[in-house]
Amino acid sequence: MTNVIRRPLGLWLVALAVYAFLYVPLVIVVVYSFNDSQLNAEWVGFTLDWYRKLFHNEEMLQAAGNSLMIALVASAVSTTLGTMAGFAMHRYRLKLLPLLVLTPIAIPEILVGVSLLIFFVMLNITLGLVSIALAHIAFCIGFVAIVVRSRLSGMDESLTEAARDCGATPMQAFRLVTLPLIMPGVVAGALMAFTLSIDDFVITFFTAGANASTLPLQIYSMIKIAVTPEVNAVSTLLMGLTLLLIIIASKLAPNAIRSS
Amino acid sequence: MNKVANEVANVVANKLPNTAAQRGRLARWLISGPPLFYLLLFFAIPSLIMVFASVRYAGDYGGLAPVFDEAGKLDLTLENFQRFTSDFIYTAIFLKSLMYAVITTCCCLLMAYPLALLIARSPKKYRDLLILLVILPFWSNFLIRVYAWMIILGPQSGLTQAVNYVLGLAGIEPVRLLFTGFAVIVGLVYVHLPFMVLPLYANLEKHDPALVDAAQDLGASAWQRFWRITFPLSLPGVYAGAALVFIPALGIFAVSDILGGTGSDMIGNVIKQQFLETRDWPFGSVLSIVLTVAALIAAGIAVLVARPRRGA
Amino acid sequence: MKKLLTVATLLFASISAQAADELRLYNWNNYIAPETVQRFETFCKCKVVQTYYGDNEEMLAKLAAGAKGYDIIVPTGNALDALIKQQALLPLDKSQLPNLKNVNPAYLNTDFDKGNKYSVPYAYTVTLMGYNDQKMKELGIPVDSWAAIFDPKILAKIKGKVTVLDSANELMAAALKYLGYSANDTDEQHWQQAKDVIIKAKPYWAAFNGSSYIKELTVGDIWLAHGYSNDIFQADVDAQKAGRKFHIRHALPKEGAVLALDSMVIHKAAPRPDLALKFINFMLDGKNAAELSNLIGSGNPNADAAKYIKPEIANNPAIFPDKAGFAKLEMLKDLNSKQRRAVNRIWTEIRAR
Repeated sequence: MTNVIRRPLGLWLVALAVYAFLYVPLVIVVVYSFNDSQLNAEWVGFTLDWYRKLFHNEEMLQAAGNSLMIALVASAVSTTLGTMAGFAMHRYRLKLLPLLVLTPIAIPEILVGVSLLIFFVMLNITLGLVSIALAHIAFCIGFVAIVVRSRLSGMDESLTEAARDCGATPMQAFRLVTLPLIMPGVVAGALMAFTLSIDDFVITFFTAGANASTLPLQIYSMIKIAVTPEVNAVSTLLMGLTLLLIIIASKLAPNAIRSS
Repeated sequence: MNKVANEVANVVANKLPNTAAQRGRLARWLISGPPLFYLLLFFAIPSLIMVFASVRYAGDYGGLAPVFDEAGKLDLTLENFQRFTSDFIYTAIFLKSLMYAVITTCCCLLMAYPLALLIARSPKKYRDLLILLVILPFWSNFLIRVYAWMIILGPQSGLTQAVNYVLGLAGIEPVRLLFTGFAVIVGLVYVHLPFMVLPLYANLEKHDPALVDAAQDLGASAWQRFWRITFPLSLPGVYAGAALVFIPALGIFAVSDILGGTGSDMIGNVIKQQFLETRDWPFGSVLSIVLTVAALIAAGIAVLVARPRRGA
Repeated sequence: MKKLLTVATLLFASISAQAADELRLYNWNNYIAPETVQRFETFCKCKVVQTYYGDNEEMLAKLAAGAKGYDIIVPTGNALDALIKQQALLPLDKSQLPNLKNVNPAYLNTDFDKGNKYSVPYAYTVTLMGYNDQKMKELGIPVDSWAAIFDPKILAKIKGKVTVLDSANELMAAALKYLGYSANDTDEQHWQQAKDVIIKAKPYWAAFNGSSYIKELTVGDIWLAHGYSNDIFQADVDAQKAGRKFHIRHALPKEGAVLALDSMVIHKAAPRPDLALKFINFMLDGKNAAELSNLIGSGNPNADAAKYIKPEIANNPAIFPDKAGFAKLEMLKDLNSKQRRAVNRIWTEIRAR
């Protein structure tokens, strides 16, 4: 509890400065979604036009919905697989898994994108939202695994051992002792996976099908014609929606997400 | 009848894991199996296809040339690798990217650490919200966030004018902030910051306050408490964060495309060009292999250095 | 896992159910007017599903890796060249394209698709220079020649206020034209000369920028940009809307420039080639074709469309070059693998110095 007190003024100031660094561009994004000018360059006047346009833009809304859906699925699956991987890497002396987990982070996205496309075509897998999700899971697993592993390393094994001594099976020991202890790591990994998925462009471009799009694909294709504030509007809405979803989820399942 | 039943029971009992060692092996496969299998199928095998492309020829108008030529002979070559080793320019760009990635990682560490520390030491009920606030901006789109930096660093922005005013007082010529290496670093740091904050937080959150209390009771100053207790304990988080920033930052191209000037090409840009404008997939594959291997070596070194004193 | 399977099944079901009457259009963003799409949907009683790419090369890379499912694609000249050479396209059934007669013959029968076996012209842009007329007048900079971008003496006056496209092909073409060579010149010596010209001018340029130069011009951070005619048109429209005191004008250099002709093609694995042909014929109708020009200021190869295009666009010599201007325009041809490598080597050196 005394931990909470050790937040000297200096620490506060630096932390707030970093928050400011993170938020100034975001404030610009949100504010300009109400800007009465096509360019994302300077403030002209207030308008809700861009939001109005957005609600009539079925394509953009559909793409945003796809992005959200894929991100939820991809982060759920990759967090599960990544936690397993992180746990396994910590517990056992594995050689192949650490390599397989780290390489997707290192390898250039464009190579992964092209190779997955060739692979899907070879296996005659129809390109679409599912192929995108499969690709996203592959590169998110590594991020989750690394965070979970680092959370596990240096962790006190005596607690799990005590649980086992009291008669818990390995599965029970994991579920009731280890998992709650590593939960902040798992949550951090899940947040990273969600972020990576919802904003991915390169790999998504190559694995997307001819009849479905995600938000980054829509937006990047606008890059040649100047990105209008409609994009700011959809980003603001997406952020707000995601935040809302998480707050609702944390209220409904407080035990799953609480830090300890 | 009984004898048969006994036989069957024996066989079944022998097949099931009934020793601790056998249960351990089963558990090991159950836990490491699914992620291993998934990554093998949806990452390793596809990537090997493209890694193999590094010894093939490029297709005349795109894609790859067939593996077997008209005569049915294997048509492979090492010329792509030779091109990389014989032409220093690629190594030069690679080293420059390395430098950018190192600078980015250090800046991220310096900025993320205080933030993660503050959140980790906040009351429990605020921690989740504070962490969410860190990552919330990154659910907007990458492109418009970077475009926002174009506004912040543009020649007509408040920031640029303030900087040039101060420089003017010192008698220095006005500088441009946008389309420079500085802008690229700012962009790189911005884009990677949450990936340093989250692992650090995950680690700092579990520190036992009692250790720091004990140190204080023994007379350690604030700085000593940090440097000799908190920081060493947080090293696994530091290494995780550093890996999750350094490795992606090596291969990224979008930031320097948008914020960079005329000399900011990174190895990621060169690789992208091989796959797009030049349609030279084999050479792109070679450069990717070099990049991946270098990143993995860097990570491997970090792991060796970070190995905890007690056995893993 | 279960969730994933349910989602997957639902998606597969919805996909196969709709494949019936869908036209899959793979196009540049904002490269067809929404009204045109709606009208076509009513006309053919089908649905048009659009996905986008932002760069020809991205589209080529995806198709080269084997992506399928697209009906119509809209590649630019040299990308069309590449697609034909890769035999990726379906020959057009001319009997279904009666409106083909509407096309201005000057844009038919290009070098890479003689007889228009595979492609039909859709729109074109010219790669030229856009400038802030107020600033150029103030500084007395002549904008009738590529020298404005390549001559250090002129550049010294506008240092840091110039951007060029970040495409190796386009920039090399401009430099070659400046030196008096053809944009499609493949002589290694000439390429080295072009490289030297570019490297000498580079210190004065702000950035290699293919996307946000419209915004930069409109806001006034950049005064001269190497760009596409329809983008520059858009920059001026935006500038006037934002109440700026200057105009963004086009400048077609006297040494000539690159003409980028976009065509409609049908992919050889198209699911609905019948709908695709209907679409192409529909777009060849003058009224429909004109809508794009009016929307984004692109050049229009459709002779019949001329009467539907807004006069300020139709009379702009940079968007619709006259005979003299047209004679100086060249379409970029695709290079072979060895040549592309050489260009990339030069480009890497240009970008690294």
